[in-house]
Amino acid sequence: MQREAWTVLLILLLAGGAVFAHVTTTTEEYSRYNTGWNGTSGFAGKEVRDLGDLDPGAPLLILAPDRPFTLDEVGYLRAFLDDGGRVIIADEEGAANDLLADLGSTMRVRPGNLASLDRDHADPGLFVARVVGNDTLFAGVGTIRVNRPAAVEGGVPLLETSILTWDDADGDGRITGSETFEAAVVCAREGNLTVLGDPSLFINAMLTENPQFIQNTWPVRIDGIHSRTGTANQIINTRLWIQETPLAVAALAALAVLPVAYRFGRKENE
Amino acid sequence: MNHRASRAVLMAAAVLVLALLGAQAADPVLYTAENTSTAAHTDPATVQKRSPGDANALVPLMDELLGQTGTLTLTIKLKDYESAERDLARYSELSRQFDRLVVTLDVSGTDIGEFQQNNRQNQESLAALLNDTRRFEDLQRLEIEVRGNDEQHMAVVYEGEALRQKMREGFSAYAKREAAATRIAEHYDLNATPYRESVDHFAEITDAADDWWKETGGRSAPKSPLRIAVTPDEGRYGDTLLIAGTHDGGRPGDPVEIYIDSRLTATVALDDGGSYRYPYRIGRVPAGSHIVYATAGAVYSSVVTFEILSGNTSTTLALAEVNETTVACTGNLTTDDGRPVTLAPVHLRIDDDTLTTAETDKNGTYRKEIALPAGEHTLQAEFHGAGYPLNASESPVGTIIVRGEGLSPLPFAVALAALFGTGWYLRRRQYRREESLVVERPEEEVEVAEETAEQAPQVSIVGLPPREAATVLFCTLRARLGIPETKTPRDCARIAPDHAGFFGRYELIRYAGETPSEEELRAMEEEVLGGDKNAA
Repeated sequence: MQREAWTVLLILLLAGGAVFAHVTTTTEEYSRYNTGWNGTSGFAGKEVRDLGDLDPGAPLLILAPDRPFTLDEVGYLRAFLDDGGRVIIADEEGAANDLLADLGSTMRVRPGNLASLDRDHADPGLFVARVVGNDTLFAGVGTIRVNRPAAVEGGVPLLETSILTWDDADGDGRITGSETFEAAVVCAREGNLTVLGDPSLFINAMLTENPQFIQNTWPVRIDGIHSRTGTANQIINTRLWIQETPLAVAALAALAVLPVAYRFGRKENE
Repeated sequence: MNHRASRAVLMAAAVLVLALLGAQAADPVLYTAENTSTAAHTDPATVQKRSPGDANALVPLMDELLGQTGTLTLTIKLKDYESAERDLARYSELSRQFDRLVVTLDVSGTDIGEFQQNNRQNQESLAALLNDTRRFEDLQRLEIEVRGNDEQHMAVVYEGEALRQKMREGFSAYAKREAAATRIAEHYDLNATPYRESVDHFAEITDAADDWWKETGGRSAPKSPLRIAVTPDEGRYGDTLLIAGTHDGGRPGDPVEIYIDSRLTATVALDDGGSYRYPYRIGRVPAGSHIVYATAGAVYSSVVTFEILSGNTSTTLALAEVNETTVACTGNLTTDDGRPVTLAPVHLRIDDDTLTTAETDKNGTYRKEIALPAGEHTLQAEFHGAGYPLNASESPVGTIIVRGEGLSPLPFAVALAALFGTGWYLRRRQYRREESLVVERPEEEVEVAEETAEQAPQVSIVGLPPREAATVLFCTLRARLGIPETKTPRDCARIAPDHAGFFGRYELIRYAGETPSEEELRAMEEEVLGGDKNAA
């Protein structure tokens, strides 16, 4: 009988573990809670949720933004930049263009489907871009492997593709029709503001591709409000709420202790 | 918790686990590598590591090709033919490398493809320029030597005139390509200066030929008795142009040699009326202007030109399985107006990578059987048009699944045979061992063993809880009676009906949860030790 009880307990533990692993992760692109290849759980960077309290010593990364910035937030960013802080905007869908305009920058993200022959992978969107100019972000780096990036217009180029690059508008992986070879800039800067046309550089699957670049970003802070890294689900949100609420933690601890205490109490009575 | 309740909990837990796993089966992100590509990115770990070719070499190669044109034309202009031969060989080698790269990288549809086409034509032009310049120099020398011999002099002047015209045509075409070369060079940041210089050198060489022509009379050759005309004066691939004329002083059957681009193309005979005709079918010859003249002995015709226009092509591809590992690729290569392109190379691109070549037959049909590894493959047929007055074309991409060779039954048969063999060997070995034991075991030992088996078993239940004691007694009796351990009390009762009472009581103790009294245990012990059979 005892053996059966242990079996039941083991099964329940396994089931509980599986449930926990599943409900506390997500498959959302760029999410910090996505442990899969397209999440950013492996990217070491602390999330900040208040742009009014930024440390100029740590660069701020706005990764794949998908929420608009309020005027106040734009003001905070402007002040941060004026104080010598560095802002890196990684975007390939053009969602950051409004923010760039509000910040008075001439740089823009031009969404597209860049492909290149300068690669060592079968996927034409997974290719190599060359570092041009001097910037601490690319210190000690000669080339960067990019992953379906977008072109960046304006600013001082920091990362440029080879001339054998094209915008694969029809997505067939070949240069056909009206598509033409043209070098493209995928990263540029204006003062302390840097625009990177490839947020995919920070996903789990890409971290090992450009280790020096990732290291150069440290000690980066990630904007957890506007970036898609903040994408979670209800269960994760609940977990975070519990973690951040001492009373809830105490209640949970009590729930865990009570059955044990009850069991011990019964034993003594027997 | 009783037995039934614990089973129910176990079942419930199992159902819960299954339900959880079932719910997650539709969302396998945590334990599979599916969904490894989205619009924003792809997982590099799941993408095959394969370079499309040495893309880094492409642009430098274009630069080098442009540079070679300047070097080559300079050495031709300086009449350093030995160096020119070397330069031309180098230029040809670079062009071959470039052609291969263009095909491998699949960029023939771009301005690099246009550069490639122009480069091919430049290569042909410069090879012709080298030959023509050499021949022209010979003719210049000959012209001096045969002065005074009108007939021979006339022959030399005619050939010189033909060559001069050809060089002029060649230069015209070469210079026309300068704009495109400069445009492409600017786009790829190449140095176009050598190409511009080559145009200047080419011009100087043809100007020198013009000067010689003026020095030798500066006139068109006098009206020749051997007349020539090409009708129509232009055509496309597959068209037939009629090269015909008359020879006033010729006799029927006299041979007339026809030269196209200074190469002997055909020899025809004069008919009874002193006429000759040669139908020239346009085949593998570059598009552009071409010159033609005829000779009948020492008599030369005037030089006339005709134009070959370029046309489009279409390539088809059909895939069929030949066997488990081989695929047959068949298709047609035709011009836009449906004419078959004969004896032309058709390249088959496998999985966007490997290239293999087939050749069309006289109907424009090609067939190639290709052995492929198991799996899905894409194939595409391409015609590159090199040397033809035809533009490149490619078929739609075809897909085929190759099953691959099935598993050979031989290893299975061998494994099965080995299994049977091992079984047979072990069985035989065991049998022999038993036999030898029976033969070798001394009689005394056998007797002792029998006695031991019949001896009452030793059992002690002192200090054990009643139910455990009953179990010990049951096991001891079962062992004494030689009943296998897998048998239940009920089985034991059936096998040994003399002890049915003992086994029936034990069944109730074990399964019904009854607790035996001390008296019962004593009775059971006696029975185990060989006492009263019915005591229990």
